Amino acid sequence: MESQSVRDKKEPNVEERVHLIVFKLGSEEYGVRIDQVKEVTITPEITRMPKTPSFIKGVSNIRGDIIAIMDLEERFRIERPSGNPEQHTYTLVMEAKDYTMGFIVKEVPQSLTLPVSSIDKAPSFIQDLNINENFIEGIGKHEDRLIIVLDMYKILTSDEILQLKS
Amino acid sequence: MKSRDQEYKEIFIAEALEYFDALNRHISELEKNPEDEQLLAEIFRLLHNLKANAKAIGYTTIGDVSHKLETAFGLIRNKELSFTDEVVTVLFDGIDMLGEMISGIDGPNEVEPSPALLRNLDIIVNTLSDNTTELSKVQKYYTSKNLSLSDLIYIQIKKLDHLLNLVGELIIDRDRILSISKELDNDDLKNVSAHLYRITDELQYSVMDARLVNVGSLFNKFPRIVRDIAVTEKKEINLEISGQDIQIDRNILQIITDSLLHLMRNAISHGIEKADVRKKAKKTPHGNVTLSAQNDRDTVILRLTDDGKGIDQEEVKRAIVQRGFLTADAVKDLRETEVLSYLFEPGFSLAKEVTEVSGRGVGLDVVKNAIDSIGGRIRVDSKKGEGTTFTLFLPTSIAVKGALLCQIEENFYAIPLMHTDSVVAWPTQELHEVGDLLVADINGETITIVSMRELFNNDIREYSVKKKDLDNDVQNIIIVSYNNRKLGLIVDKLLRQQDIVIKALARPVNTIDIYAGVTLLGSGKVCLVLDVAAITRYFIARR
Repeated sequence: MESQSVRDKKEPNVEERVHLIVFKLGSEEYGVRIDQVKEVTITPEITRMPKTPSFIKGVSNIRGDIIAIMDLEERFRIERPSGNPEQHTYTLVMEAKDYTMGFIVKEVPQSLTLPVSSIDKAPSFIQDLNINENFIEGIGKHEDRLIIVLDMYKILTSDEILQLKS
Repeated sequence: MKSRDQEYKEIFIAEALEYFDALNRHISELEKNPEDEQLLAEIFRLLHNLKANAKAIGYTTIGDVSHKLETAFGLIRNKELSFTDEVVTVLFDGIDMLGEMISGIDGPNEVEPSPALLRNLDIIVNTLSDNTTELSKVQKYYTSKNLSLSDLIYIQIKKLDHLLNLVGELIIDRDRILSISKELDNDDLKNVSAHLYRITDELQYSVMDARLVNVGSLFNKFPRIVRDIAVTEKKEINLEISGQDIQIDRNILQIITDSLLHLMRNAISHGIEKADVRKKAKKTPHGNVTLSAQNDRDTVILRLTDDGKGIDQEEVKRAIVQRGFLTADAVKDLRETEVLSYLFEPGFSLAKEVTEVSGRGVGLDVVKNAIDSIGGRIRVDSKKGEGTTFTLFLPTSIAVKGALLCQIEENFYAIPLMHTDSVVAWPTQELHEVGDLLVADINGETITIVSMRELFNNDIREYSVKKKDLDNDVQNIIIVSYNNRKLGLIVDKLLRQQDIVIKALARPVNTIDIYAGVTLLGSGKVCLVLDVAAITRYFIARR
């Protein structure tokens, strides 16, 4: 959020814009604010951790830090399009207040800047999705693409994750 | 390495010099505000401590001078001696004298207190009203005051913790470099990494060493505590302490402090009988309690023994059934050590049920948790009528632990050696199916055998393993022991024994209780550390 306001000051006359990292889950495009992403890396070796829910893929050693890796497709029960599996997957390393977690995405995430006005806040139709409404910040439109903007911080701090139990 | 005596001496000098500095500061203040009672009390306290320390280590002259000064300040505090110029001079001289003597300890000649000064001190103390006796001028044979800084520094344990964590990380990286250099087969790299290995080893040892304190620093508080408890309980206790010299990590000692206190309280108030009961049982009227420490490789063993009434096995068995832990039938088959292990179960207390008769077990689960948290073990042995012994097995240091590495499916797991008992290759056909569990009769003990594969892949409530579920004819079984109970874990492959640095798991996966932490192997591979305590608890709960 801070970097956002810094940017605002630099471009006082331009309309407020949001910088997103965009990735694919299932067949849809999702985005998160870039300031919530610590780094993007090719998914390192994941050590499976028995007795965790299936959407926790395990733990990985990322630069000496051992962090949990989550599969968002499984977490939100998003159907994977059948077809050739990717060579590599990528991991978005996200930082919550007091811990870090990795999220697996299939294709190379891209960076995209959208004007704030092109993001619809809380549209009603998302109730049909398996994703808890609270996790969605809005729906962004860019040319003919539709990008579901997630609030990672809410995902990271949801009770479900914090009280992860076998 | 320096001898213990030398180390004690250095600590004494450093502390004494600090007292001396503080005394100087306070007395100068006092000269300005002679009415300040807080200052007086502080000076009094400093002198008193200095006296006690000096006498304890055998510097009687320093003790004597401190004593005289203490007496003088005592009189001033009680307003029996006024803080006049004459008196002030003598007191300043006295404190200077102390300083000289303290710094003289390490010098070639011991500094003797000036007789004139001693006489002056005696005069101001003894001739309260009679001011006719002349104070003699004290010849100062010390000419200049040297300013010097102490050889010892105090350091916050937090800083040492940080240092130790960094060393832990360094060692993980070192092991990684070592294994890379083996792969690359480059001579230069090999030499450098071999050197790196030695240096980090030494660094680790030094940091661990810096954190060690004597067990005595805790033990020596007990005579007073025991006295107080004994007075409250109206019992007479003879406390024997040994092994104060044994060294252990300061944080470990800190963590078990409350536990030891708790055990001591239990021993005196519930273990030791009243004098008349003891006489009838042909015991000495005073209760005997021993507190001892000894080293066994990387483990420090603390023992607390009392010769009280001991724990009644039958009583415990009845309580196990009453509290619904086991059925009456199951209890009959328990071994003695297993029976006693129930004392550590949460909510298991004999005291509430049968206060007069027995009464151990108040909060023993808390003691157990504290010891578990540092990867230690506790056991209890007791004979009815003869007494009880609690034995604490503690790691010397927190950071590095010996562990047994094994493989289950594609992953590596570590089990701390503190909890491993033995390793056996056991023919599958000699396992027996009892309900949903497997058991084996190993060395005369019936041990529950757990297939780690099945445990990992099934909900614990649905855990059920038959012999046909096992792949091989021979099973690799690691027998672990926790709280006097043994469990055999079937693993796919036994790898090796290795020292590991355990890191805590980060959120959100830190809540999965079968893992005690995680470590990185030299290969960079993540290796989960199994929590034997949690796994054992699962299966105890099932029985």
